[in-house]
Amino acid sequence: MQRFLLTVDKLSTLVGHAFSFLIVLLTLHVSWEVFSRYVLGAPRAWAFDGMIMLYGTLFMMAGAYTLSKNGHVRGDVLYGFFEPRTQATIDLILYFLFFIPGVFALTYAGYFYAAESWAINEHSNITADGPPVYPFKMVIPIAGAFLLLQGLVEIIRCVICLRDGAWPSREEDVEEVDVEKLKEMVHADEAMLDAGAVVRETAR
Amino acid sequence: MKIRKELWFGLGLMGLILVSIAVFMPWGSLTNGHLGLLMLALIVVAIMLGFPTAFTLMGMGVFFAWLSYNSVNPDLAVRQVLDLMVQRAYSVMSNDVLIAIPLFVFMGYLVERAALIERLFRSLHLALARVPGSLAVATIVTCAIFATATGIVGAVVTLMGLLALPAMLKAGYDVRLSAGAITAGGCLGILIPPSVLLIVYGATAGVSVVQLYAGAFFPGIMLAGLYVGYVIVVAKLKPALAPKLSEEEARVPVPPSLAPLAATSRNAFTGLLAAVGGRSLGVPAGTVFGQLFVSLVPALSIIGLVWVIWIGATKPVEVVDTTGLQVSGFAADTAGTGTGLAEPQGAGTGLAEPPASEAEETTSGTGLAEPPSDQGGVAEPPAARAAATDAAAPETAVEEAPAAAAAERLPAPTWFWVVAAIASAFGVLVYVLWTWQRLEIFKMLLASFFPLSILILAVLGSIVFGLATPTEAAAVGAFGGFVLAAAYRYYGHLREARRGAAVSPTARTLADLWDIIKESSFLTAKTTAMVCWLFVGSSIFAAAFALLGGQDIINRWVLSMDLTPVQFMLLAQGIIFILGWPLEWTEIIVIFMPIFVPLLPHFNIDPLFFGLLVALNLQTAFLSPPVAMAAFYLKGVSPPHVTLNQIFAGMLPFMGIQVIALALLYIFPGIGLWLPQTLYR
Repeated sequence: MQRFLLTVDKLSTLVGHAFSFLIVLLTLHVSWEVFSRYVLGAPRAWAFDGMIMLYGTLFMMAGAYTLSKNGHVRGDVLYGFFEPRTQATIDLILYFLFFIPGVFALTYAGYFYAAESWAINEHSNITADGPPVYPFKMVIPIAGAFLLLQGLVEIIRCVICLRDGAWPSREEDVEEVDVEKLKEMVHADEAMLDAGAVVRETAR
Repeated sequence: MKIRKELWFGLGLMGLILVSIAVFMPWGSLTNGHLGLLMLALIVVAIMLGFPTAFTLMGMGVFFAWLSYNSVNPDLAVRQVLDLMVQRAYSVMSNDVLIAIPLFVFMGYLVERAALIERLFRSLHLALARVPGSLAVATIVTCAIFATATGIVGAVVTLMGLLALPAMLKAGYDVRLSAGAITAGGCLGILIPPSVLLIVYGATAGVSVVQLYAGAFFPGIMLAGLYVGYVIVVAKLKPALAPKLSEEEARVPVPPSLAPLAATSRNAFTGLLAAVGGRSLGVPAGTVFGQLFVSLVPALSIIGLVWVIWIGATKPVEVVDTTGLQVSGFAADTAGTGTGLAEPQGAGTGLAEPPASEAEETTSGTGLAEPPSDQGGVAEPPAARAAATDAAAPETAVEEAPAAAAAERLPAPTWFWVVAAIASAFGVLVYVLWTWQRLEIFKMLLASFFPLSILILAVLGSIVFGLATPTEAAAVGAFGGFVLAAAYRYYGHLREARRGAAVSPTARTLADLWDIIKESSFLTAKTTAMVCWLFVGSSIFAAAFALLGGQDIINRWVLSMDLTPVQFMLLAQGIIFILGWPLEWTEIIVIFMPIFVPLLPHFNIDPLFFGLLVALNLQTAFLSPPVAMAAFYLKGVSPPHVTLNQIFAGMLPFMGIQVIALALLYIFPGIGLWLPQTLYR
C-alpha cells in the first residue's frame, strides 16, 4: 500500500516539478516582452495571452503537487495541537464532505467546458487572431484529475493513520524554511568571511 | 479525553461561533440570506478545523451554491452549479492581477538564495556602529530590506535567528529585545511593497495594485522607522539592555595593501589623491586607482542625481507643449497653437505620465501633481506646477509664460539651485569624513546593501511611476534576482578558487545556479498553487455567498446600526484583528474583504486607504500570540535557553508600535495617500 501511495506522490511531484519550470518561462517571456516593447519597439500581440496561459497552467498543474507535499494552507489554530488520530479523523470526514464533491465537480464541469471550447475551435479574443484557448481550458479537467488522484491517496493516508496512530511518510521535497539548508548558507558565508579575515591577518 | 491548554483558545472561539449561530439564527423562518450568514459562520469553524482552506471553501461553496440554485429551479441547479464553478476557476486562471504573484514569489526565492543576508547584516551593523543599540537597529534594517525583497517571513526570521540572535546575545543584548527586533523586522515584508499581500488585496477588492504599492510605501517605511526609533530610545534609556559595541568589535580592518597609505593620512580621499600624485608608498597603482574610483562613487552618484533633477527641472518643454495642445483640445477658448491630434493622446493617458516628467519624479520625488488629461482649462505649465508643490518654491517667470512659447531649455528654477547646493554640501561633508574605515564600510555596503536596494527601488519605482505594470516589473525583478544570485555565487566561488579550490568557479556557479533555479521554481509552484487555489475556492465561495444574498443582509444590518465612519472603521479593523488570530492573512483577505469592501462607499472610505489599514493591521496578526508564526520560526533556531515566552514578551512592544502606526495612519491618512494622490489624481 505504502508503495502505491509513494508512486502516486511521485507522479504528482513529477508533474508539479515539470510544470513549475513554467515560472522560468514566464519570467523570460515577460522580461523579453518588456525589452522588446520598450527597447526594440516591437511588442508581440500574443504576449498577454501567453502570460495568462503560462501563469494559469503553472498554478493549476501544481495543485496536486502541493497537496502531495501537504502545502495547501491550513487553519493551524487547532490542527497542530491534535493527536495524529484526531487529525486523520477530521481530514477523512472533510475529504469526503468538501474535497471530493468540490474537486470532482470542477473536473467534471471543466471537461465539458474544455470540450465545448474545442468543438467551436475557440481562439482568444483579447487581440485579433489570438491563440487557441481550448488547450488552456483543458488544463482544468487535467489538473482536477491529478488532484482527485492525489486526494484519493491522502484519504488512504488518513485511514492508515487511523489504524497505526501515526502519519505514513511522504516524499522529501524542497522546503520553504529548511533550517539545515539556511544554516549551511549562513555558515558557508561565515566561513568565507572568517577565512578572508584570516588571510588579512596573516598578510599583516 | 484530556484537552491540551493550547486547544482551549481555538475550541472556545469555535464554540462561541456555534453558540451564536444557534442563538441568533431565526430557525423558524430561514431565508436564503440567512443561509448565507450561516455559511459565513460555518466557514470560520470549518477553517479552524484545519482542513486545507482552498478545498474547504470549494466544497462549502458548491454545497451552498446548489442550495441557492435549488431554491429557484431544482431542475437546473446541478448544471448551474457546475457552470458557476468552472467559470469561477477559469476567471482565476485568467486573472491579470494575480500573474504578478508567482513572479514576485520567484524573485523572492532567487534573492533569498543569493546568500547575501550575512554580508548585508555585517556591513549594516558596522555602518551603524555608532548608533545606540546598533546591532538591533542593523537587524531591523536588514530584515526590512531582505524581507521586502523576498517577502518570505519564515526564511527571513530563521536566517536572522541564525545570524543576528547569536550576535546580539553575545554582545550582551536583552533576549526579549533581540527576539522582538528579529520577529518584528522579519514581518515588515508583508507590508512594504512589492508585497504579495497587497496584490491579493488588490485582486480581491478591485483596487489598483499600483496605487496600493504607492500607498503602502511610506507607511511601511514609517513602521520600520518607528521600530528603529523604539530600539534607539530603549538603548539610550537602558543601556544594560543593549550595550554599546566595544571598540574592537566596531573596528573595520584596513586591508594590508592599503595599510601604508592609511598609516600616513587620516582621510582616505586626500590620501589616495596624494598617492596618485606620487606619494604611493609602495602601494600598486592599480589598487590606488581602484580605491579612488570606489571613493568617487558617492560624488558621481550625487552629480548624476543633480543632473537628472536638472534635466527634469529645465526640460518640461515637451510637456508644456502637450499641455497646451491638450488644453486647446479640451477647451477651445484657450489661446493655444494646438492641433486636434493631441487630444486622443491626452485623453488616453489615464494614469501614465508624460515621459518627460518621469525623470524628475523618479529622482526628486516632488512629482507632477496631475496627469495632463486632468487639467481642465488651466494653462499653467508643469514647471510652475512642480515649483508650486515644492515648499521652497519661489515664483518664477515661467508661470506667466504662455505654454507654447517655451521652445528651449527653461532656466533652472531657484529650488533646483537650493537642492544642488544641499547636495554639494552633502558631498563635501562625505569627503571630509571619508576615513579609511569608512571607505572599507562603504565598500562592504556597495557589495551588499546597494545592489539589493537598487533592485527593490527599480522594481518599485517602475511600477509606481507607471513605467511598467506590476507583472512586468515583477518579471524583470525576478530576472534581476537571478542575476544577483549568479553574481554573488560567482563572487563567492571566485574567492574560494583564489584560496586554492580545485574546481573552476564558473563550473561551480553554473551547478549552483541550476540548483537555485530548480529549488526556486519548485517552491514558487507550491506557493503559487497554494495562493491561487485558495483564490479558486474563495471565488466559488464568494459567488455562493452573493447568490444567497448574504451580502444584502450584512449591508442592511451594518447600515441599520447607523455607525459613523470612525465607528465603522474601528469595528472593521477590530474584526480583522480578531480574525488574525485563528486565520492566516490570505484567508482573511480572500474571504472577508469581499464583505467589507462593498460597505465602504456608504461610509465614504477609500478602498485604497482601507487596504493600507488592513495590511498594517494584518502585520499584528503575525506577532500576536498564540499563533504568531514568526515566534515559532525564531524558537526553532534559537539557543535552548531562549524560551517561547521570552520571544512573545519581546514581540509585545513591537505589537504596540504597530497599533500606534495604525492609529497614526488613520489620523494622518496623508502618510499613505499622499504619494498615490500626487501621482495619479
